[in-house]
Amino acid sequence: MPDAFSSLLHGFNIALTPLNLLWGFIGVTLGTFIGVLPGVGPALTVAMLMPLTIRLEPTGALIMFAGIYYGAMYGGSTTTILLNTPGESASIATALEGNLMAKKGRAGPALATSAIGSFVAGTIATVLVTLLAPVVVELALKFGPAEYFALMIFAFTTVAAVIGSSTVRGLTSLFLGLLLGVVGIDSQTGRSRFAFGVPELLDGIDVVVLAVGLFAVGEALYVAAYASRLEEKMEQLKGSLWMSKEDWRRSWPAWLRATAIGFPFGSIPAGGAEIPTFLSYATEKKLTKHPEEFGKGAIEGVAGPEAANNASVTGALVPLLTLGIPTSATAAVLLSAFQNYGIQPGPLLFQAQPDLVWGLLASLYIGNVLLLILNLPLVGIWVKVLAIPRPLLYGGILVFATLGAYSLHQSVVDLIILYVFGVLGFVMRRWDIPVAPAVIGLILGPLAETQARRALAISQGNSAVFITQPISATILAISFLLLVVPLILRLVRRS
Amino acid sequence: MKAKPAELILSLAVFILGIGVAVGASQLSAAGGYARVGPNVAPAVIAGGLILLGGWLAYEALSGGWRNAVPDDPVERGEHAFHVAGFVWVSVGLIAQIFLIHTAGFVLAQATLLTCVARGFGSRKVARDFAIGVILALAVFLFFVKFLNVNLPAGWLRPVLGGAGI
Repeated sequence: MPDAFSSLLHGFNIALTPLNLLWGFIGVTLGTFIGVLPGVGPALTVAMLMPLTIRLEPTGALIMFAGIYYGAMYGGSTTTILLNTPGESASIATALEGNLMAKKGRAGPALATSAIGSFVAGTIATVLVTLLAPVVVELALKFGPAEYFALMIFAFTTVAAVIGSSTVRGLTSLFLGLLLGVVGIDSQTGRSRFAFGVPELLDGIDVVVLAVGLFAVGEALYVAAYASRLEEKMEQLKGSLWMSKEDWRRSWPAWLRATAIGFPFGSIPAGGAEIPTFLSYATEKKLTKHPEEFGKGAIEGVAGPEAANNASVTGALVPLLTLGIPTSATAAVLLSAFQNYGIQPGPLLFQAQPDLVWGLLASLYIGNVLLLILNLPLVGIWVKVLAIPRPLLYGGILVFATLGAYSLHQSVVDLIILYVFGVLGFVMRRWDIPVAPAVIGLILGPLAETQARRALAISQGNSAVFITQPISATILAISFLLLVVPLILRLVRRS
Repeated sequence: MKAKPAELILSLAVFILGIGVAVGASQLSAAGGYARVGPNVAPAVIAGGLILLGGWLAYEALSGGWRNAVPDDPVERGEHAFHVAGFVWVSVGLIAQIFLIHTAGFVLAQATLLTCVARGFGSRKVARDFAIGVILALAVFLFFVKFLNVNLPAGWLRPVLGGAGI
């Protein structure tokens, strides 16, 4: 690997031009600002801010997205700690101890350990992405359509069936997404499917509309119906912002352990930052010298899960960039941002557009540094954002959410679909059906279909192609076992 | 064990959706060229999946309810009972915006949306909310039209906005 380092240096040359640095800076700031809003997770933040990049050239736009992505996560942890309203499932573990620390008047150190831990984990994970991506690219160049198809099936299985509280509800969500994915012109034959004569549907359903509908409109409908009349208690930011020597001593091993836990989960297409954050929480609880503090606001319980979240989210860039496979709702929205620029991530992207890939990777380092410099001192401003009265806050969120959906094609049809998805999101939230598999199914379904048909075209229609090639057969077998073994175990246990 | 009606209805909705997709798939062309896989295959697979999942969900709903789901009682979830006005006002805002955006224009549509949503969340200060909506939407409008070169409909405010937008 002689060139990972020199490629990265070249990437810094691109990312450090004043203009690109400015886009990164804007991305980080806006990402944090939107991410701080309660109930707004990173996927929604990226989707809502997508229209801002319409007129940018691709490299600048993607650098801005990298900033938004990181900023949104940082902003989300601030809200989690001060309000105890985790914006996404990966923040639940942080909420456990972080909010308790804030209640004891230690909000400052909780925010600091989460910010510095995110920086440490994010930077180490970015180094690992830089080293690992070219290796995966080498491997992926040998993959044919059958292998890609098998990998996508693997991603579907883990995202829908393994993660979450129910296999059947995860799969239902996935299949709804797959169904939405076949709407429009079939890319292979040019035939229209399920468009019902609506011209706006021929281009297919945009991932942004689905993500904004499920996450923003669905959330607003749900909160208005079930939680708008609750008293909300925000913890005050008082006392020192800085961590004591003791805090540091207890935080750094947790950051490092969490990075080691989080990165592998993100980088294999097994999706979701939820499992590593809980694993990290459990690990810290077990290893701590202060077990009595757990459940009362232990700093390790914030440091670990936050770092694990960041490491796993960064690790998710490996399958996204090298294979074109998103493993989280946020990665799915990022992939759709790529596609809007006519860029299909995958091994060929590293050869065809090295400037873009390495500029993006370099900007991840820069984004992490910017976040650390900007956000700890600015935390007072972010806290003020949280003080906006709820009615205006949700009104404002929907103003931007509808703008995001409308400005894609300046189309009222998108707004109608948005409302329908909002009601769907409400139903899914109320009856505990996860929404991320639907978003991933929508964007990955058509890609999987294309790969399957390519593989079958090469084999002249012989469908054994998926199980006669060793790599694809192995991946499919693992996916099958992941799906079936837990079900069998449950049946055995019951009888 | 008791059956859960809402869950059963949703399960059947998934099942019926699957049947509908199967019917739709059967009307699609099966011609697939070299791949011998036409545009009908993926929808057929999805239809099969939805039918199976709908059946599975229905079975769970009938045998004690969906597994590991959130409690049905909102108080157990830490929430309050379904607030009809909250849901309706947010919906009214979104539907009004759909009708207004190409007639009254972006600024007035978004201000109406913000006002209705705020009402759904319990705000009674209609004039204040609308004023804030106009200011916010106007700022966004000018930023998009003047700075990003992305056109948004000016609508009824065209004379005031000096010909900006479409």
